[in-house]
Amino acid sequence: MDKIKRKRDRLEMIFDILNIIRNHHNSIKPTPLLRHSNLSSQSFSEYFNELLEKGLIKEITDENERKFLTLTDKGFRYLDKYKLILGFIEEFEL
Amino acid sequence: MSPYHLIDPTRLLVELSYTLIVVFICFSIYYKTREIYDLTKYEGIKYFRITFLFFGLAFLFRFLSVFVMLMGMTFDIDISRYIFRIFPLVFNGYFSTMGILSLTYSMIWKELQIKHVLILSNAVAIIISGITFFSRSSDLLIEAQAVLLIFTIIMAIYIYSRSRKISQLFILYFLFFLFWIVNLLALGPRRFIPFEIHTILEIISIAVIGIIYQKVSRWTK
Repeated sequence: MDKIKRKRDRLEMIFDILNIIRNHHNSIKPTPLLRHSNLSSQSFSEYFNELLEKGLIKEITDENERKFLTLTDKGFRYLDKYKLILGFIEEFEL
Repeated sequence: MSPYHLIDPTRLLVELSYTLIVVFICFSIYYKTREIYDLTKYEGIKYFRITFLFFGLAFLFRFLSVFVMLMGMTFDIDISRYIFRIFPLVFNGYFSTMGILSLTYSMIWKELQIKHVLILSNAVAIIISGITFFSRSSDLLIEAQAVLLIFTIIMAIYIYSRSRKISQLFILYFLFFLFWIVNLLALGPRRFIPFEIHTILEIISIAVIGIIYQKVSRWTK
């Protein structure tokens, strides 16, 4: 049961992180994102790398060399489809 | 003298229609779940969707087996007959075993995380298709897959015993596997299921896969 919860939590955590970025006008620095996500820095780092690898977020650098995180099209689609994804997993007991 | 064929056009038409419908539904399920898998890379979705890819291919090779069987005397050279008959059966065995194992794993992966599950499944599927190849008949394939079906039922009962309910999904999967094995019986030398009964079973089997497709469609708009 714990494993199920962990997996569910993982999808939820990804949703929460993406949602934080979207709610900040799709542009947020890594440090405030860490703070808002309520994760340990190690967990945050894992999720951050995973989101970059999956192409759900991307890093952009402004003219002052400051790094910001924004959602990609795929990230927006994840947010849009999240309820359907959960429904699918629930329906087929995956 | 006119060529001597044993093709039964009615049966061929029924089998072709059945195959086209089932393969279309299986590939549609695989295609429809592509986006939610791409977004999540969720293990359960991965094994669920490849099940239908494997079964789609298995049904195609099953049709080839039935087709060759229905051609009867057409392949009158022994070696051609053997090759044309055995190879679709071998691929049929491989893909359907992969399908059964993938669907079973999609149900149990949360409880039993098995390392290198795809390699293991491939090994089992290759052994079963190897047995089919060397035995030159579908009998051992049917028996091996019946054993897999029993294994699936035991695993499902183990999982569902915790929730103390038998879900509608479990019944659907059970029927899906059962109809697959009934379908394999049509390939055997002892075709003891009358054509009419077999056709009715195929229609029920389409309904079962159709219900799964309808459930998939609800969440993959």
